[in-house]
Amino acid sequence: MFIDTLLIGLSSGAIYSLMSLALVLVWRSTRVVNFAQSGQAVLSTYIGYEIALRTHNYWISLPVAILTGALIGSLVDLLFMRLLARRVKTGPIAELAPVIATLGLLGLFQSLIGLFWGNAFLQYSSPLSGKGFTFGTHTVPFSPQNLFIVLASAAVLTIFGLVFKFTNLGLALRAASFQPEIAQLAGIRVGRVRNIGWSFAGAAGAVAGAVITPTSALSPNSLDLLFVSGFIAAVIGGLDSLVGAVVGGLILGIGFSFILQYIGSSVTFLAGFIILVVVLLVRPRGIFGKKVGRNA
Amino acid sequence: MRSRRLSAFHRALLLSLLGAALLIASSFVGELRAYEGAQVAVYVIAISSITLLTGYSGQISLGHGAIMAIGGYGAALSFSLWNFPFEFALLFGLFIGTLSGFILGIAAARLSGPYLAGTTLALAVGLPTIADQFKVLGGEQGLNFDIGDAPSWLRKIEGEDFTQYKWFFWIATIIALMVIWAITNLLHSNYGRNWRAARNNPVAASLAGINVARGKVFAFTVSSALASLAGALFGLLLGLVTPTAFPLSLSFAIVTGAVLAGVGQLAGSIVGAVVLVAIPELSSALSTHLGDSQKLIANLPGLVTSLLLIIVVLFMPNGLRVRIFKNKFKST
Repeated sequence: MFIDTLLIGLSSGAIYSLMSLALVLVWRSTRVVNFAQSGQAVLSTYIGYEIALRTHNYWISLPVAILTGALIGSLVDLLFMRLLARRVKTGPIAELAPVIATLGLLGLFQSLIGLFWGNAFLQYSSPLSGKGFTFGTHTVPFSPQNLFIVLASAAVLTIFGLVFKFTNLGLALRAASFQPEIAQLAGIRVGRVRNIGWSFAGAAGAVAGAVITPTSALSPNSLDLLFVSGFIAAVIGGLDSLVGAVVGGLILGIGFSFILQYIGSSVTFLAGFIILVVVLLVRPRGIFGKKVGRNA
Repeated sequence: MRSRRLSAFHRALLLSLLGAALLIASSFVGELRAYEGAQVAVYVIAISSITLLTGYSGQISLGHGAIMAIGGYGAALSFSLWNFPFEFALLFGLFIGTLSGFILGIAAARLSGPYLAGTTLALAVGLPTIADQFKVLGGEQGLNFDIGDAPSWLRKIEGEDFTQYKWFFWIATIIALMVIWAITNLLHSNYGRNWRAARNNPVAASLAGINVARGKVFAFTVSSALASLAGALFGLLLGLVTPTAFPLSLSFAIVTGAVLAGVGQLAGSIVGAVVLVAIPELSSALSTHLGDSQKLIANLPGLVTSLLLIIVVLFMPNGLRVRIFKNKFKST
């Protein structure tokens, strides 16, 4: 029983980590919490669904969805966030503007999807079985699809980790988010690097959407709760840290799974709130967040 | 310049005149318009709670729908379980909401920006699920909060066509005007000045002897009081409170309204509230015009709201500002 719960938690935790990673990538580079992330992810999943419908092949649709996600992320930055950053700098709105703007963008994505595909639930299925593995007589609630979710998330996280740690691009990304002006002086094209950050984030969100949707159904709002969990996970981890995003995601996923098993399904999000408050009261900038100087 | 400022008494006079005009006007409009008028009044209160919190104290909340739920449930519980008269039920909802706001505010004062946004977002998603846990809160069915018709003395004066919806309009309008009066006075007082100072420059404010953290907690408490009052009235308009009556989208809607109104300006909350109520109306008219497809009906309001939100944030970041009063408190 304990192992089962842990495995389920691992699978949902992996997905939360991906979503949370997407948020952290954007936050690090542009200081914006991208509420449109779930809209971007769900749009790329719809594209994946459309491809799968035409080709009858999930394995073709998956990379297309991921590329679309990256493209959408990049376009959101180019067409929208840059304009916003240029136009809205002062006033009581300045801090709220990115939140509101991305919420507006989320609504835009979701209503456009609704206009094209309708609001009914669609089935985007993968060839992997959703039935749990059986060991002897005991069937664990952990299916090949769950295994794939964990592996895909681990692969994305590893690739991102390697890129950040060992490539010039990774160095540029870190420098651009650490000190944009100094990075610019050192010859890094900060705008372009940020844009790459946005497209990475879009891709991570797209992976999350495309691998989780076969376990449930696809609708314009189907990734909203995933987004909320990802956001909570990112905040728990400290919004600035990639490691924090993963740790936060796993804490939340495993925590939710145990609460679901031993207390009941309806209190999970309240428990998420309580976990969040407890973590933030102890460390107001999250577990891995760095204490910054006074920003007066 | 000081002489141009209205005193609290003059404001009260002005608002009572406005109220009287609105109440008289209510007898000339239909049922639906009266109900929508009541909705506008409720949104005015809810939006001013955000305006006060974000525009004047610089805190962000995406969870005010949850605080509205606390107020709504408090009121409905005392009304249906303990048979409070509805006036006292509203006060009870307000009291419970204020208390919760105080507790939340203590936590909120430690957090900033996205951390606060995330915490309040989690609250908005998590809180309505409590209602399923306790039998006394009525589960999915919710709680009854049907206050019935207007009292007989009022119907005697106003005539028999004084319907329930007009009675709702009266209640909501009178309370909304009282709220506007109270907040305007508050923002003119030391408290309002301290909030603005602490938001604009926390270091300078604390050097000048302002307790920044205490100010934030107080602002969150007042804002929650308003939100819970709005929630109690919201339940009153619906006739019941259910977990689904206070969804995440409600929290987003009132933030939207506050932004459309320009978060720095209290008078704007009326504009924001009118827009929030008008959008579904306008877009349903538009979708009939464009041919009644199911997809269009379901998605047009969302599309219009989102586009409006994006346009306002990009091109009119200070809101659809109407300069009714020469604004003394530009909160920039």
